[in-house]
Amino acid sequence: MDSRIITITSGKGGVGKTTTTANLSTALAMQGKKVVAVDSDIGLRNLDAVLGLENRIVYDLVDVVEGQCRLRQALIKDKRLPDLYLLPAAQTRDKNAVNSVQMEQLCQQLRQEFDFVIIDSPAGIEQGFRNAIVGADEIVIVANPEMASVRDADRIIGLVEAAGKPEPRLILNRLRPEMVRRGDMMDVADVIEVLGIDLIGIVPEDEAIIVATNKGEPAVYDKRSRAGRAFLNAAQRLLGEEVPLDEVEDVPSFMERLRRLMGMGPATHEKRVRSQSS
Amino acid sequence: MGVFEFMIKRKKPTPGELAKERLKVVLVHDRLKLNPELLELIRAELLTVVSRRLEVEEQQVEISLAREDGYDKLLANIPIKRQKVKFEWDPPSHTSNEVLRGKVRIEETEAEA
Repeated sequence: MDSRIITITSGKGGVGKTTTTANLSTALAMQGKKVVAVDSDIGLRNLDAVLGLENRIVYDLVDVVEGQCRLRQALIKDKRLPDLYLLPAAQTRDKNAVNSVQMEQLCQQLRQEFDFVIIDSPAGIEQGFRNAIVGADEIVIVANPEMASVRDADRIIGLVEAAGKPEPRLILNRLRPEMVRRGDMMDVADVIEVLGIDLIGIVPEDEAIIVATNKGEPAVYDKRSRAGRAFLNAAQRLLGEEVPLDEVEDVPSFMERLRRLMGMGPATHEKRVRSQSS
Repeated sequence: MGVFEFMIKRKKPTPGELAKERLKVVLVHDRLKLNPELLELIRAELLTVVSRRLEVEEQQVEISLAREDGYDKLLANIPIKRQKVKFEWDPPSHTSNEVLRGKVRIEETEAEA
């Protein structure tokens, strides 16, 4: 099977790794791909709750690695999508319960069963992070357009390169278009220029993410959520489809929508990432 | 408001621009694992070498790191006082304007000799 193992990582905590993992996994499964979302943040289990599967866990990743159960027993089937599974992290163990060799073996096992293995990495650059990337074919870095996050992302790029992995790609999360317009926040082009890696998603800040997490239902199900649509687009790009990077384009005004409806306005114009270099 | 915004923008960078500029500097330091102490050492050594040929304004020498055109760069801004010595192999009649302005590369001059 031609499967892909993709690790979602960031260095800094709280930038949206788990949210990104949940949404990309769900979006890919919606496309009919067989997907497993792996929570490798041992001791700080969260992906289960974001996917709404927290009360179905019996066995976890550490149990599988230690041979306490078979892989199939630990995999939790999603409530809504038949092709989506979760491999939860252990909650009562610590980061050092698993080593790189075990993790790589686990990845090879999962590769036999799934089209996509999406691994949610813990924050930091210690053993947990190394375990998360050891078996990966591809790395996706999640960053927010602020200094600490971009700085950590740069560090991760260096470590990923040192680990002999292909160049990571970026999802820029929690962008606030209004702040960018005022000049109070770095623009997409600024972050790309500084980090020098390819972009596969721009996700605007969206309250719907918190609502979605509260419900245990990833935002990609919410057609009205801008962040949800942005994650859908990012998943399409992962699948190799050309989707214009227009996530942060202004919401069209009422008159503009009316004009478009009547076929009078400018057709949905593609807006590439603004590349204004100062 | 538009006009005012334009004027303000010229005066000082926006927080967004500031973040980008600060990031560029901090990332070069991170990537090269250069601390201010090491940079000071490089500055001192550079001065020793350059001072052999040119008299420089030591107090105004600036060494910094920046990211430009896709490269991490060491930028040295070294103001020159005046020509210290005439090069023996370079008769005054052949001293180009470039040398007088201190722009000439020493290796080239030596190679010609």
